[in-house]
Amino acid sequence: MEKERTEVNDIDRSMYDFRYSEDDFYRVDEGLTPEIVLQISKEKHDPDWMREFRLKSLDTYHKLNVTDWGPDISGLNMDDIVTYVRPNTKMSAKWEEVPDDIKETFERLGIPQAERTSLAGVGAQYDSELVYHNVKDEVSELGVVYTDMESALTGEYEQMVKDHFMKLVPPTDHKFAALHGAVWSGGSFVYVPPGVKVDIPLQSYFRLNAAGAGQFEHTLIIVSEGADLHFIEGCSAPKYNVANLHAGCVELYVGKNARLRYSTIENWSKNMYNLNTKRAVCEEGGVIEWVSGSFGSHISYLYPSSILKGDGSRAEFTGITFAGTGQNLDTGAKMVHIGKRTSSFINTKSISKGGGISTYRSSVTVMPSAEDAKASVSCASLMLDDISRSDTVPAMDIRTDKADVGHEAKIGRISDDAVFYLMSRGISEEDAKAMIVSGFADQVSKELPLEYAVEMNNLIQLEMKGSIG
Amino acid sequence: MEKTLNLKINCLPTLTWNFLKLNRAEVNESVVLNGRGQSIIQNIPNGVIVGNTDNCGDCNGCDRDGSEKIKDIATGMGEEADRFFSEVCDGTLMVRAKRGMEIREPLCLDYRLGSGDGTAVRQEIIAEEGSTVTVIMDYTSEREDRGFFGVQTRLHARKGAVIRLIKIELLGRNYLHFDDIGALVEDGGAVELVQMELGGGRNYVGVNTELAGYKSSFTGHTGYLCMGSQSLDMNYYIGHSGKKSESSLIVRGALKDKAKKNFRGTIDLKHGAKGACGDEQEETLLLSEGVLNKTLPVILCDEDDVEGSHGATIGRLSSDILFYMQSRGMSPGEAEILMTKAKLNSIRNQITDEKSIGRIQHYMEEAFDNER
Repeated sequence: MEKERTEVNDIDRSMYDFRYSEDDFYRVDEGLTPEIVLQISKEKHDPDWMREFRLKSLDTYHKLNVTDWGPDISGLNMDDIVTYVRPNTKMSAKWEEVPDDIKETFERLGIPQAERTSLAGVGAQYDSELVYHNVKDEVSELGVVYTDMESALTGEYEQMVKDHFMKLVPPTDHKFAALHGAVWSGGSFVYVPPGVKVDIPLQSYFRLNAAGAGQFEHTLIIVSEGADLHFIEGCSAPKYNVANLHAGCVELYVGKNARLRYSTIENWSKNMYNLNTKRAVCEEGGVIEWVSGSFGSHISYLYPSSILKGDGSRAEFTGITFAGTGQNLDTGAKMVHIGKRTSSFINTKSISKGGGISTYRSSVTVMPSAEDAKASVSCASLMLDDISRSDTVPAMDIRTDKADVGHEAKIGRISDDAVFYLMSRGISEEDAKAMIVSGFADQVSKELPLEYAVEMNNLIQLEMKGSIG
Repeated sequence: MEKTLNLKINCLPTLTWNFLKLNRAEVNESVVLNGRGQSIIQNIPNGVIVGNTDNCGDCNGCDRDGSEKIKDIATGMGEEADRFFSEVCDGTLMVRAKRGMEIREPLCLDYRLGSGDGTAVRQEIIAEEGSTVTVIMDYTSEREDRGFFGVQTRLHARKGAVIRLIKIELLGRNYLHFDDIGALVEDGGAVELVQMELGGGRNYVGVNTELAGYKSSFTGHTGYLCMGSQSLDMNYYIGHSGKKSESSLIVRGALKDKAKKNFRGTIDLKHGAKGACGDEQEETLLLSEGVLNKTLPVILCDEDDVEGSHGATIGRLSSDILFYMQSRGMSPGEAEILMTKAKLNSIRNQITDEKSIGRIQHYMEEAFDNER
């Protein structure tokens, strides 16, 4: 008798798949020309140095090639992408002042409710611009700055922005970093003064509503000496039949003995090319913790990087990737050890299903100066059917003898032995399999804030039936 | 004949970041090919046929179909290396184990090389159905000798056949060395490969194994020691297309002084290879500040009913071991030598031929004596 295969449903994205008209929104023309870049710069009232920076980045973009590794992105044609779409509203600190349809969008995503219950501040971006930004008084009274990038760029923090903007991720880093430098818009600026510990998280949510558009938000966070912050980033989009592009950039500066946790749940629609760049640098004793869930997008290239520059600095990356039908998600992390006694830990899980392709890609580099560095990498992949694919490509580049580096990886399907064991304890086969898959993801979800862990569990609706084939 | 090499070799089957400089190796240098340093065969065990494929019709029991098939086997160093061997090699040394013969005595191919020698050779080893054959290849020269030695070996293990290939590389520190291996394993067949990469200056090793048959298997044991300015670039690819095929690759070694090593190991679990299982483990001992180690263990998985795993441990001697050794009166240097020997001996122990063991032992003692 032919055995029935365990079925695990794809992620339910219906709660994200709604859209509103954008007839009265401002849009630049499709494509990428110096004129369009200058137009964006003009619309955003850039200072002169930023306008020049954009044009130089555009020049760099044209000089760089698309990578020869990773998923195929030939379906992305920049001539069809609108790089700037501005909603017909100004940024507000009150939800009542946000236009109804945009407010409704964020209500359905649960952002205002989360702000009321568990966040210290929220930024909400709709297409290319922030429409809402607010931070609780008690947090701003501590000297914490949480604002949109445009305000930071022209206000009292201009010099700080100028000193840090795209210094960690220079436009020469890769083609889509250069693209970001040319057309970036929106995003958040956070500054936490020395010694300030922000007890509850800040959150930015990025919603791309326009068809055929790109979102290029820039997040710049500076956590000063001895400070502590948890920042959450969320993103989603409705599904269209044309390609959308996300080429954001996140730059995180973690000061001496400071700590920053950066949590992301990425749930872009399946027409999205997610070519995002995230990087952190840690000074002496600094700690960066990445928690990353990648569930959406058609194609993803996402490898948050940690540069452990200061002695005794530390990085952790905890990530989960779920690649379903039509998805090719290339995710992982990079660690660079420069300071003495630095340590890094990567722990990832990936699940492939319904023809989805999941690739875990990482690099651990230990420079000659990184005496007594320790690095550990653990990655596990679960294949839920035989039409999907899962690859692991982890690299280690060790340039000192005074380092200890360990790596382990495993790929397989749900273990028959584990199912048998649980069944011998009186658990039904269906429940046993559901428990195993939930347990597989649990190591990551428990690192997420509660509301995000709930969202993740909602995302992975596991329906098990029959026995494994 | 002087030949300028501009080769891209040891290419990864799937590319990754270019900044890592691991997607491929490049060889850009000139070599003199004078044909000196051909193999010496001491004796041919009963059941083994040795000949040249150019006149394989003369060999009793030669199978043309098999000969043609073996030529199509991809090798680990890749197409450019294959073209190089095709251009410069005159004929191919063929070793064939007769059907059903379990040949206990190894066939030994000894290459004694000297300074200034430049040789490239091609070999084929075919184990007919149900046969077992062991081939030991030993490449040796004096410690400071300079030259080029390239060897390409294709293996074809037919149904239920076992090929044990032992390669001992003890070339001089100024040698450029290519070791390019390709293997095809049919139903129930096995290839067991043991490599001791101890000598040579710039060493490139590529191994491509296709486990095409049901319950076919590959086991690889590689030991290496890179000291001074030695470099070793390795590329292993194990393709699982046969159901219930199994592979295990263990690579252990040590880097000292300014030595460099790249390791690429790919297990490719192909669609349809149900029940296949692949594992690779790498251990590298780092003994000096100036060493450079790059490791890239890859698993490609296009089938759910499989198991793939890899692990790597890279670093210095653990402080606990060092403390224990010192409490037993050893200096840190002596402890390092002891632990390096232990790692290499765990690979060497796969070899049962006493003469080969003796040669490895002698080489290692001499290498460590120079360090003391």
